Amino acid sequence: MKKFFFSMATLLLLVAVFAFTAVQAWQIIDKYSINFTSDDASGIFKTFTGNIVFDEKNLGASVFDVTIDAASINTGNGLQNKHAKSDEWFDVAKYPAIKFVSSKIIQAGAGYQAIGSLQLHGVSKELTIPFSLQKSGTGLTFTGSFSVNRNDYHIGKPGGDVGEVIKIDLSVPVVKK
Amino acid sequence: MLKKSLLLGLLAGLASFIYQKVYIGALEADFSKVFTPIAVFMSSVVGCLLASLGYWLLDKWMKGKADLAFNLIFAILSFVTILGPFAAKLPVSVESPELFPGLTVPMHFFPVLGWLTLKPAIIKK
Repeated sequence: MKKFFFSMATLLLLVAVFAFTAVQAWQIIDKYSINFTSDDASGIFKTFTGNIVFDEKNLGASVFDVTIDAASINTGNGLQNKHAKSDEWFDVAKYPAIKFVSSKIIQAGAGYQAIGSLQLHGVSKELTIPFSLQKSGTGLTFTGSFSVNRNDYHIGKPGGDVGEVIKIDLSVPVVKK
Repeated sequence: MLKKSLLLGLLAGLASFIYQKVYIGALEADFSKVFTPIAVFMSSVVGCLLASLGYWLLDKWMKGKADLAFNLIFAILSFVTILGPFAAKLPVSVESPELFPGLTVPMHFFPVLGWLTLKPAIIKK
């Protein structure tokens, strides 16, 4: 009997410790926006999914693991969309997902930085995404802006009308899971 | 002639409007927020009014022998204008922009179609 109580107490203690240290998981809600702009092309990615675990008091355990559906690109022009999905650009048949997995999230001034690996067009490179946080009720909105050089990921031919540096603006509202 | 061109424009606009309804019903591609029914009618009316002005000027210049030349010019210009829908950049909130030319390209031919079909009957020299 003593053994049973001892086991139960240990289990309860473990659950309590785990609950205390568990980092909040967040669910992405539909009002997100993933915009990109360059010299000649701009648009959005419509489909964005992933797992977000974030606690500003426990950044060490926070992690972003998010995926953009490359085929969901919309530039506002049908011909441009077709061109962007082709093998010359994103090659969505071969590389359907654009993936970012953070390895570290750190505080940077008033905001944060997510350092991780961006897998795009079959190429993985380390990338730092600076972002800030807005709280609204029980939810959060992550907003960030960063640039990637498309040549680093072998997207399109170097030069040409489309700028080589693509600016990406993110706004990702989340609610508690 | 102005009133009759206006009538041609309205008929072309009506044809475009009906085509838009059929297109939206068939493909569930709704562009009515970026290409409103008023814009559909106005573009046809303006097209026909400009055509009648062009016809009047050409007829004065060619002294009553403008029909063939004008019809040819009107048809060629209608073909040239279809580049517009292919190059159009819609707001990114609009779904399936690749279906936009399928909606608007036929509409570019309704004014010239109306002109060639009905002009002999309603616009007499």
